[in-house]
Amino acid sequence: MINATAPLLDVRDLTVTINRDGGLVTALDKVSFFVNPGEVLGIVGESGAGKSITGAAIIDLLVPPLKRTGGTITLAGERLDQLSPKAMRGVRGGRIGFVFQDPMTSLNPVITIGQQLCDTIQTHLKLSGSQTKKRALGWLDRVGLPNPDVQFKRFPHQLSGGMRQRVVIALALCADPVLVIADEPTTALDVSVQAHILELLRDLHRESNVSMMLITHDLGVIAKMADRVAVLYAGRVAEISPVGELFNAPKHPYTRGLIRATPMPSATGEMRLDQIPGAMPGLGAVPPGCAFNPRCFRAEGDCRATIPPLHHEESSAFSCFHPLERVTA
Amino acid sequence: MLNYAASRIVQTVIVLLVISFIAFLLVANIGDPLAALLSADATVNERLELIAKLGLDQPLWTRFLHFIGNMLRGDFGFSYRTQDPVANLIAERLPATVELAFVSLLITIVVGVPAGIYCGVNPNSLFGRFIMLISTAGITLPNFVVGILLIAVFSVQLGLLPSFGRGTVVDLGFWKTGLLTVSGWRAILLPAATLSTFQVAFIIRMLRTQLMEVGQSEHIRFARARGLSEARIWYVYAIKNTLLPVITMLGLQLGNIIAFSVVTENVFAWPGLGSLFLQSIQGADIPVIAIYLIFVGLVFMVINLVVELLYPLIDARVLRRQS
Repeated sequence: MINATAPLLDVRDLTVTINRDGGLVTALDKVSFFVNPGEVLGIVGESGAGKSITGAAIIDLLVPPLKRTGGTITLAGERLDQLSPKAMRGVRGGRIGFVFQDPMTSLNPVITIGQQLCDTIQTHLKLSGSQTKKRALGWLDRVGLPNPDVQFKRFPHQLSGGMRQRVVIALALCADPVLVIADEPTTALDVSVQAHILELLRDLHRESNVSMMLITHDLGVIAKMADRVAVLYAGRVAEISPVGELFNAPKHPYTRGLIRATPMPSATGEMRLDQIPGAMPGLGAVPPGCAFNPRCFRAEGDCRATIPPLHHEESSAFSCFHPLERVTA
Repeated sequence: MLNYAASRIVQTVIVLLVISFIAFLLVANIGDPLAALLSADATVNERLELIAKLGLDQPLWTRFLHFIGNMLRGDFGFSYRTQDPVANLIAERLPATVELAFVSLLITIVVGVPAGIYCGVNPNSLFGRFIMLISTAGITLPNFVVGILLIAVFSVQLGLLPSFGRGTVVDLGFWKTGLLTVSGWRAILLPAATLSTFQVAFIIRMLRTQLMEVGQSEHIRFARARGLSEARIWYVYAIKNTLLPVITMLGLQLGNIIAFSVVTENVFAWPGLGSLFLQSIQGADIPVIAIYLIFVGLVFMVINLVVELLYPLIDARVLRRQS
């Protein structure tokens, strides 16, 4: 890998399979990417592309029958895929924070906000009771909840969706992780609240310089937040590029299709929406060769015969035999 | 919270009044108190006197208010069968049944709750499956069969425990307890175990299902994603989410045993309310049956009230649903 700094998180050939009716179906097929220190890596793709599975696989939190069957995951030089369950618990929440999607279901309904925060802090940091509480209150304040003393004693149902998501973010960050995996952190929220939560995530990222993996299907979120973007399609990496390059000069036909299918005003202010024909293949229905070939206007014989390997260029990588040329619009 | 408590208490009182009215209708319409209380050669005058004394010439509502008033003053009427005050009959039998109910509840909690948690946390373990198999027997076997089996093994074969009665009873003045003597404890074990068989099996299955369901929820997954220990996740974060249905069911079962442990009390010749109820039915002793009905209603309502007042302490969302 041509890279000046050593990546904080290095995922190589991550493979996840699901045992269905006795047969193994591949859900994630040799996914490789890395996250540099202080960087925001966006992971984008349609529903079912394997974005959330990628996030869950990193902290070994896959829901059976999903199972990690191959690949290496390295966090700051340490192989996470070889850790004991006990050591993995220390990583979860301690070194990798995870922001869940739906704040309505991800907080324990019968335990106070304060207790959930204190439990998390005490699991990872050796602090006294009063220091723990002080830290918890500090985090409630940092994520922008008014009157932390009051919120501390409240139950999740007493907070609005946006406030709950702030609590979820505090829970993910309260033990000072080096990496935050945010799995669709704004998808379940009202549009007006989404912007606030994104702003909060960006502020926290700037303050603490924590690295972030931002999983989303929303290219708008990617454009606002990410430094680099990995595009997943049917459990494989289609393309990884710096965000500007991805939007201006996508290499993979799927990436361009995805961008064109997103309502975004172009430079001239007009809205253009193009659909990609067909639908992403489901689990176990991936065609031979490039998974995108049945929907691709550039597909040729080689695309149907062999899976294109991830091809690295200076700052980007893509898996396509017939990448798009840079078009000057 | 105060609103919540007040509304629960008002509901309880209303339901009790309805039960009392039904019980009153029973007394007023079934059986003939005159035939039971007058001698065969009574004169018409004596008869009219008694009618006036009992208020039988009054309209229904007046008589009902009278009935309620008497109850509030502790006058529950007289048994047709023994001519004793109903209050005395019930007071005499109550301690035996209440003690039996609480000991069996204790067994349920001590045995059923840990076993249920074990099965919920390790649903696929060999021991968990074994417990589930045994609990199927606990659910399906009727009480009298369990009782007879226990007697056959522990009384007849092994000769360890008595098969009938309460053992030596200590009179505390207001309460005759069997729980202060060794023979009392020995006597209560078999009937209490019999009564708790079903409850233990039921609570195991309920806790297991509840825990397995909660274990799948997003908030438990999020707790895992934050690295909390499995012990903390199961015994604090998950368990607390399963407590509402568990205490509801334990409360109902307690009421059930106090009110309707007829069969078990019969098998073990336990001198409790169940056998009193049975005798009263056989003798068509309407006043006793009516008061017993009200008493049963009271027991259920009070237990339910206590359980419902506990709800907000476990899950504050209950209060929100109220308002």
